[in-house]
Amino acid sequence: MSTFEFRDAPLDPAALSRTLADPGAGGFASFEGWVRDHHEGRRVTGLDYEAFEELARAEGERIVAAAVERHGVLAARCVHRVGRLAIGELAVWVGAASAHRAEAFAACREIIDEIKHRLPIWKKEHYVEGDSGWVNCERCAEAAHDHRHGHDHAPAGAAAFDYARQMALPEVGSAGQQRLAEAAVVVIGAGGLGCAVLTALAGAGIGTLQVVDDDTVEASNLHRQPLYTVADIGRPKAEAATERLAAYNPRIVLHAHPVRFTAANAAALISAGDLVVDCSDNFAAKFLVNDVAVLTGRPAVLASIHQYEGQLQVVRPDTGGSCLRCLWPEAMRDGLVGNCVEAGVLGPVPAVLGNLQAIEVLKILLDLPGQLRDELLLVDLLGLEQRRLRVPRAAECAGRCTRIGPPVVETSGAELELTLPLATAAAQGYRIIDIREPEECYSDPLGLAGHDAIPMGRLLDGVATLDPGERYLLVCTRGARSLIAARQLRAGGRNNVWSLRGGLLRAQLPGAQPGRS
Amino acid sequence: MPRLRLRYFALFREQAGRREETLATTAATPALLYEELATRYGFRLGRAQLQVAVNGAFADWSTPLVDGDEIVFIPPVAGG
Repeated sequence: MSTFEFRDAPLDPAALSRTLADPGAGGFASFEGWVRDHHEGRRVTGLDYEAFEELARAEGERIVAAAVERHGVLAARCVHRVGRLAIGELAVWVGAASAHRAEAFAACREIIDEIKHRLPIWKKEHYVEGDSGWVNCERCAEAAHDHRHGHDHAPAGAAAFDYARQMALPEVGSAGQQRLAEAAVVVIGAGGLGCAVLTALAGAGIGTLQVVDDDTVEASNLHRQPLYTVADIGRPKAEAATERLAAYNPRIVLHAHPVRFTAANAAALISAGDLVVDCSDNFAAKFLVNDVAVLTGRPAVLASIHQYEGQLQVVRPDTGGSCLRCLWPEAMRDGLVGNCVEAGVLGPVPAVLGNLQAIEVLKILLDLPGQLRDELLLVDLLGLEQRRLRVPRAAECAGRCTRIGPPVVETSGAELELTLPLATAAAQGYRIIDIREPEECYSDPLGLAGHDAIPMGRLLDGVATLDPGERYLLVCTRGARSLIAARQLRAGGRNNVWSLRGGLLRAQLPGAQPGRS
Repeated sequence: MPRLRLRYFALFREQAGRREETLATTAATPALLYEELATRYGFRLGRAQLQVAVNGAFADWSTPLVDGDEIVFIPPVAGG
């Protein structure tokens, strides 16, 4: 079954839904795009859909695969019509099946949004008056020719956000813009720094933004956090920020994570992006961002502010170089130096630093010259001075960034991931630990007698102690969390821990070795 | 002169009056080729509003073109 296809005959949603049926699915969400009878105040009588099918199919399959991967759904699929369609006909169908409903909704939404903006599919509207026009094309052509107006690119909605001025930069162009559209960035903290970073990255067209913040908007935030209005006071920041950003640029995908950023969820949250931006206001979070970025090999752009000054550091575990712990080997305790609450801050200070962070993010994603690397940038906005200090890589870095290159776990010769049926692993003496959350274990039990169930957060917090004399195999749904957990435990000196490659899903695939007895 | 295969979709198909053609041209990049075609067929869309695919994949406007390449200019899309 192809995950993305075109059809020139009417679609049957019920039949399409059945193709996603899965015993492990507890939720199914679908989206249907219908032909409506009006557009921009004109009465429409029908549509013609046309597609560059080869390219659209390849890109469409990529979009579906990316959504499946990002949201961890069991299966997803999209079917798009081509040819002449009447009012009320089904033009596009998207479906996603997953263990839980939230992921199914999110995957469905992402697929339709991406398809609408990226795939070479065009529609021609036929109007009551007898004329017709290609949507998004005719008006562009007029605007391009009429130099008195800017490019009023598209009539309304998503396509109206236009990156033309940014793409006009020779270093960006359409290829660079496409790279930004394919990127996912995780922003930890939606305060003063976060508001600036998120606005700049949303405007630049970063395809996916993950917004992590468990705070609610307070009146005292507003002077430096202009994503929020007085009406947002009391609302969760992650929610208010994503809502505002979605209205600002409907072409991007936004995910709100109104949760506290802790050691238990840091790896999972940071792994949801290609790059992480630290906009937190406390040392515990900054060191956690640094450490998890190093462990997962993702670039991190860190900034801090203090009254009228700020600091910026870029950590590049993907290419080597120094990290936050090369500068400060021991994590600093909060309260040692004041934060905004205690010391005060001038509103534009975090805005300046946040925009510098956004620029470094774009430099990395676009591979632009002049990237901040192995340096600390100090910005003094009273003296209007800035200095760049070299931060060499520490020989004995507590963040373990010195092991970058061949990771410690690989050089030990021990394989971190195992591919074998669970029952075999148990028979070979591995102690199996199901690291999924309790509700996941409940709705999709492992079906193996004599295993332990310890959620990832508790395992990493060390609440559950591992016996050095045993060998442990960690198991999760897709093998991503278990790999991160195994890496972290190995980095902490536990060499008797392995991860089940591909997780339970792989074990369930037809033709794969059975993972469960 | 290198010969290129061109395919047209949507607005471009209608303005060019054809679905495809083979063209002998000295245009060395998609950018130069688009200029040539815009003059010939009166395409009015600006390059900033377009994307280009070479041999079935999105490509940069400065990609060098060689004999036998298939080029598609992609006007603003409206799927869904």
